[in-house]
Amino acid sequence: MRIPTPWISTVARLGLAAVWLVAGGLKVGDLAASGRAVNAYQLFDYETAKVVGAVQPFLEIALGLLLLAGLAVRLCAGISAALLLIFIAGIVSAWARGLRIDCGCFSTGGELGVGVDPAYGWDIARDAGFLLLAGVLLWRPRTRFSIDGILLEDER
Amino acid sequence: MSKGVKERTKAKQVVREQLARERRRTVTLWTTVGVIAVLVIAGLVGWGVAAGQAKDTAGKLTVPPSAVDDGTAFARGSGPVTVDIYEDFICPGCRQVETTTGPTITGLVQAGKVTVRYHPIAILDRYSTTQYSTRAASASAAAADGGKFLEFHDALFAQQPPEGGAGLDDAKLIEIGRSVGLTDEAFADAVNGKKYKAWATKVTDTASARGVVSTPTVFVAGKPLERPTPDALTAAVEAAGA
Repeated sequence: MRIPTPWISTVARLGLAAVWLVAGGLKVGDLAASGRAVNAYQLFDYETAKVVGAVQPFLEIALGLLLLAGLAVRLCAGISAALLLIFIAGIVSAWARGLRIDCGCFSTGGELGVGVDPAYGWDIARDAGFLLLAGVLLWRPRTRFSIDGILLEDER
Repeated sequence: MSKGVKERTKAKQVVREQLARERRRTVTLWTTVGVIAVLVIAGLVGWGVAAGQAKDTAGKLTVPPSAVDDGTAFARGSGPVTVDIYEDFICPGCRQVETTTGPTITGLVQAGKVTVRYHPIAILDRYSTTQYSTRAASASAAAADGGKFLEFHDALFAQQPPEGGAGLDDAKLIEIGRSVGLTDEAFADAVNGKKYKAWATKVTDTASARGVVSTPTVFVAGKPLERPTPDALTAAVEAAGA
């Protein structure tokens, strides 16, 4: 049996929406910690890291809601892909510089305790999986139960 | 069907397709504008919320009178070499360093070689369900007011709760305070009234701005000490003092 593409895309869309909502939701409760997690990458000065750390969870939640609603799916998928690529680049750079940090992907991570090893490989693999979801949506943005569908009066 | 009718039908279809395409373009344009607006607003909200929280902390800030180093640390000893120790009361690595290197630190203080500055920071609030890191750091400031910072600090590490649990509650913190001689109401009131909560946040923020991303972090004369073992600490202090 062949599953029609809109259904595959719908699953990808809802999956990616869940990813962003969970990622943002886990960080939004403690913005100071989110800022420290960004600071731990040592890519920005602390003031900049604080702003990035505060803005990021809200962006993630907004993106999650937009994907859930299915509004401008291709654009949202493109922005998701860009963000994920930035995150992967950040993790790779932390890895390359030998920093010992929690990626802060699904937490207000930051530093790691003594004897805890960073899981950079897994973090990258996971983000690559999410990137795949975004890729599906970039390629085939038409999905079921979406505002896009209503606005474009999709008869299919 | 005549040739004329056929052509008219075809023309109608072309027009219909054109209209549909145009409509699609309009919808895409406006949804794009909408999405970008939503994301920009979300970002601004995040910025605003963080700025509000920072202002809130600044408004509630009470600095303990005995604190040194911009009011972010408590000093012990008066030797020429400054040793800065950044610790979180729930961090097992800090407890370990306190156990292994603590006696060396005491020795260096007593020999008049170092001034130790303890920075009780709270970066591990997520490792307890009750923000134990922040509460313990705040309580340590209250202990400093009663002249018992070090005693309270040592007692907290000796009775350190495990990560992932509820930490020690405020009543337990007050009890530990009493056990080290903080028997007056001022200590209990400061703990119960969260007097130094904003201060704990400020100390943590200052440490982050200085590049402290993990605990324990030890600086000897401003230079980070990778592994604060007794030997490494003694060597670094000797080097800085020479």
